[in-house]
Amino acid sequence: MNRLKIISGHLSPAGSTDHERDLWGSTCGSGPAGSSGPEDVVVVHGLRTATGRAKRGSFKDTTPDELLSAVMTAVLKDIGLSPNQLGDVCVGNVLQPGAGALMARVSQFLSGFPETVPVYTVNRQCSSGLQALFNIAGAIRSGSIDLGLACGVESMSLRAMGNPGDLSSRLVDIDKARDCIIPMGITSENVAERFGVSREKQDAFALGSHQKAARAQSAGRFREEIVPVTVTMVDDRGEDRAVTVEEDEGVRPGTTLEGLAKLRPVFKPDGSTTAGNSSQVSDGAAALLIGRRAAVKALGLPVLGVLRASAVVGVPPDVMGIGPAVAIPAALEQAGLSVADVDVFEINEAFSSQAVYCVEKLGIPPEKVNPNGGAIALGHPLGCTGARQVVTLLHELRRRGRRAYGVVSMCIGTGMGAAAVFEHPGP
Amino acid sequence: MKVFRSPARHGYAVEASPFVPSRSACAASQFYGLTGCGSLLVLDQTETDVCLVTSWEWSDGLFDVAWSETNEHVLVAGGGDGSLQLWDTANHSAPLRVAKEHTQEVYSVDWSQTRGENLIVSGSWDQTVKVWDPALSRSLATLRGHEGVIYSTIWSPHIPGCFASASGDGTLRVWDLKAAACRLAIPAHSAEILSCDWCKYDQFSPFSRSVLASCSYDFTVSSLHRLVGRRFSRASD
Repeated sequence: MNRLKIISGHLSPAGSTDHERDLWGSTCGSGPAGSSGPEDVVVVHGLRTATGRAKRGSFKDTTPDELLSAVMTAVLKDIGLSPNQLGDVCVGNVLQPGAGALMARVSQFLSGFPETVPVYTVNRQCSSGLQALFNIAGAIRSGSIDLGLACGVESMSLRAMGNPGDLSSRLVDIDKARDCIIPMGITSENVAERFGVSREKQDAFALGSHQKAARAQSAGRFREEIVPVTVTMVDDRGEDRAVTVEEDEGVRPGTTLEGLAKLRPVFKPDGSTTAGNSSQVSDGAAALLIGRRAAVKALGLPVLGVLRASAVVGVPPDVMGIGPAVAIPAALEQAGLSVADVDVFEINEAFSSQAVYCVEKLGIPPEKVNPNGGAIALGHPLGCTGARQVVTLLHELRRRGRRAYGVVSMCIGTGMGAAAVFEHPGP
Repeated sequence: MKVFRSPARHGYAVEASPFVPSRSACAASQFYGLTGCGSLLVLDQTETDVCLVTSWEWSDGLFDVAWSETNEHVLVAGGGDGSLQLWDTANHSAPLRVAKEHTQEVYSVDWSQTRGENLIVSGSWDQTVKVWDPALSRSLATLRGHEGVIYSTIWSPHIPGCFASASGDGTLRVWDLKAAACRLAIPAHSAEILSCDWCKYDQFSPFSRSVLASCSYDFTVSSLHRLVGRRFSRASD
């Protein structure tokens, strides 16, 4: 064994002369990613609502518990699983008081879940929907549960990023603390300036997002992942109207570069960040059923995706948009993969500036990034987004019909980044 | 192309006989040297192919072989059990002598090349270098200094009592037997150094006698000028 250790030590990266290397057994032709075990955390199924335009769109008068309830019910109904089987439910949310802990419990009862199923919420800002998945995965890995729902929901119509809470007055004396309350748009300007992302590049990226989303929409690619929801909205005359929402409302097929170029910068007089190259303010929910592979198999349920890596990193708050550029390499390293191994990257388009920076910094071929559009066209309902990205990613990988890896990543306000690597097993 | 296949044995080292032009010796191991036995093969090249003259089995893998510079029948081999064995092609059955002093695999053996000496040097994964008399009676010196497994020990073809070693600690070292000390330690590579050799030609430059080359797992080959330990050329792919 020692001779094997010495020789396998040759395979370590240059610069390391440490001979104490961990050897692990793995199935032929693969490392941690690609091998299949009963303890794997797998995604069984995932669905989302359409994203509505906040304040003006169809969900403007809909409380988040209704949106959440719709997706939770739909996911379980689709696969014929009773909610009794759920060990826990975690919901990502940012704007509701207490990150929506009460709202989530109400929501599960709207779905008719028994009181024996617990629920809680998590707030890691824009990554909350993905963090919910990490949390459920963690509970599965630590053996507390076998199956859980990871969800995300946000109504940006009913709540805004207004009240920062109770903060110490010392905040102004400490740079990094003060940077946490910089408006997100200013962080976008900071990234654009510091890393040289031009207005033209940002607008081009935004155009791409709308074009890809429009193509996906008209090709009906979102139909299998969107749960139609019937809600009440108060129309212009003040009257209640029932409406069934099944299409993302933010997509603008008619977007042009000229049109985008005409928009004025929103956050800084001579800046480059406009309403056109920023993510939209939206309402929406998404839910994913996650389980331990052995338990999923025992119930005869399918495997849509396998969680291969999860990473959360910290970055300077004043350029929070670079988060994915740090989180994605961390997650890939964990999975033992490189950019070339990954087929699809769902990188949240908080702002074109940061999305372009991250894609270029990591050398990701643009055709791999958000093939069905991103938050600029589809919207960014804060707590929902992470879960929404996983839903869209896995459905896309399944459509491609072969074994493939995908990455979900986003920047996080106050200076963090999160990323996850998923494997779709193929048919 | 003439080929000799040794079934179930994977070759680790080959050396041509200084006396018989067509002859070479090959140290080989079972299971890629990771476990199992070893064989020492003596081969002759003919016009058309390579044939086996004689061979011996050893209970552990064999990693290096060196011919004697003074006796055409004698060779020394280094094994995975830490032993050096002296073999005689005129005496077929058993080794002339087995010396077990190294505590780990002997990865390199070399016979001195300079006129005044007749010595064997061995390099081991136990991080020591040992110098032996040609009868392998006992080691004359044990030299320490390397901080990693030693992959290669080579006598200088010009400078008596001088040899170089290459190690997993990333350094090339040049040793002086008389002082029983390391004269030069060169951090030549950023990864393990697997092999080194001296330039035996003293014709093409005033520096040739002092040139040492090494290659490493960091994908580079390095040529160093011994006297100043300075790298003057580096090739990588």
